[in-house]
Amino acid sequence: MNVGAELKKHLLTGISYMIPLIVAAGICIALGQIIGGPDVADNEGSIAYYINQIGGWGMSLVVPLFTAAIALSIADRPGLAPGLIIGFISNEIETGFIGGIVGGLLVGYFVLFLKKKLKMPQSMQGLMPVMIIPVLATVVCGLIMILLIGRPVAGLQNALLEFLSSMQGGSRFFVGGIMGAMASFDFGGPVNKTLSLFADGLLVEGVYGPQAVKFIGSMVPPFGIALSFLITRYKYTKMEKEALKAAFPMGICMITEGVIPIAARDLIRVVSSCSIGSAVGGGLAMVWNVGSPVPHGGMFVVPLMENPVFFVISLLIGSTVTGGMLSLWKPAVTAEDELENLEEEEEEEEDDIGEFDLTRGVQ
Amino acid sequence: MKIVGVAACTAGIAHTYLAKEKLIKGAESLGHQIRVETQGTIGVEEELTADEIKSAELVIIAADVNINGKDRFSDKPVVKVPTHVVIKSPKNLIKNAEKQMRQNQ
Repeated sequence: MNVGAELKKHLLTGISYMIPLIVAAGICIALGQIIGGPDVADNEGSIAYYINQIGGWGMSLVVPLFTAAIALSIADRPGLAPGLIIGFISNEIETGFIGGIVGGLLVGYFVLFLKKKLKMPQSMQGLMPVMIIPVLATVVCGLIMILLIGRPVAGLQNALLEFLSSMQGGSRFFVGGIMGAMASFDFGGPVNKTLSLFADGLLVEGVYGPQAVKFIGSMVPPFGIALSFLITRYKYTKMEKEALKAAFPMGICMITEGVIPIAARDLIRVVSSCSIGSAVGGGLAMVWNVGSPVPHGGMFVVPLMENPVFFVISLLIGSTVTGGMLSLWKPAVTAEDELENLEEEEEEEEDDIGEFDLTRGVQ
Repeated sequence: MKIVGVAACTAGIAHTYLAKEKLIKGAESLGHQIRVETQGTIGVEEELTADEIKSAELVIIAADVNINGKDRFSDKPVVKVPTHVVIKSPKNLIKNAEKQMRQNQ
């Protein structure tokens, strides 16, 4: 496996551990604010205050867990403990999410190095996992984080946050548009996940706009295609109609993948229409200061958002653009298309499945 | 041929289960026996038993993330791919793996 794919796997593992934690903490923060109003943090003692507080404490664990999970993925169990500590440090020295990535990789590969290179006499083998690895990894990686990595990464992080908060009007629309197009471009694939990583990282820093754009980019494709189907049914095959029956409810839950079968038959038209619709929706959401404190949950968490009404309007406009484009642009289905689809179902395309090797055991 | 598989994706709610379904469908239509374990966010479901792993001739891991319990397959022929490969063309993957197995013999 090449280095990029290897790194990506570890980062994705980190994200997969982190998602439920952000959802739990984010929903607590949002619920607290909805029950207790915007000044909930000052009303100590109310239930809303405590719920909000639970969310806040939960959120402070996101970077440590993310860092630890990356280290765990790379170095297995010995990576976990030092990873947690380094992740906590990353919060403390204000390097946040980016620091968490760097720290997790640092700890993971350092522990892996220790496991392989550090040889102990048989009698002291037992000390390796409980003492030598955790202590060495924590001291060495902790100092590297604070002394070497801390300042530049904190600078990068703050510059990014400042840039995002200083944007006005047109540039907000532009950045929102790019993020929207990225979120929808490959329907839950690597480009979408890159944008997710960016949006989740900013969420932890309390910047909620990109997260809302992610929602829009994930939900415009199924909604837009469903709309286009309602306007021009004759442009969709029977198989696509069946796929849509699953894709639309999946879309409500913010799972985009359901539209892949529909995109596959008509890649360029569907991808372009979805990306443009999501770009418009995402841009509008940024201009209207829509924000989501929650990273997942689809339509069910819309009430928890900032400016939820404008979120729905942005989503509708984006879906309408996508749906309208598709209905105008797609050709009518011919008898051949229907047949082709059936054949495809039977005999899958000789697609390039990329390179893979048969190995003994798992590397 | 007997096949066992493991599926796992990033969010652990969609691709994991799509990959499982596609693998089962693809393998069965080629006349193979298959069992697939999923490692979603909910945890391990339909865990493979030691016997199943022992009698399997091929292990297919469809994962975007690091999976748990890799050491169970330490002396097995393993094919490891991202979930999207399995979702897109499960049959080609299996056929290709068979070809490689024959070459290795």
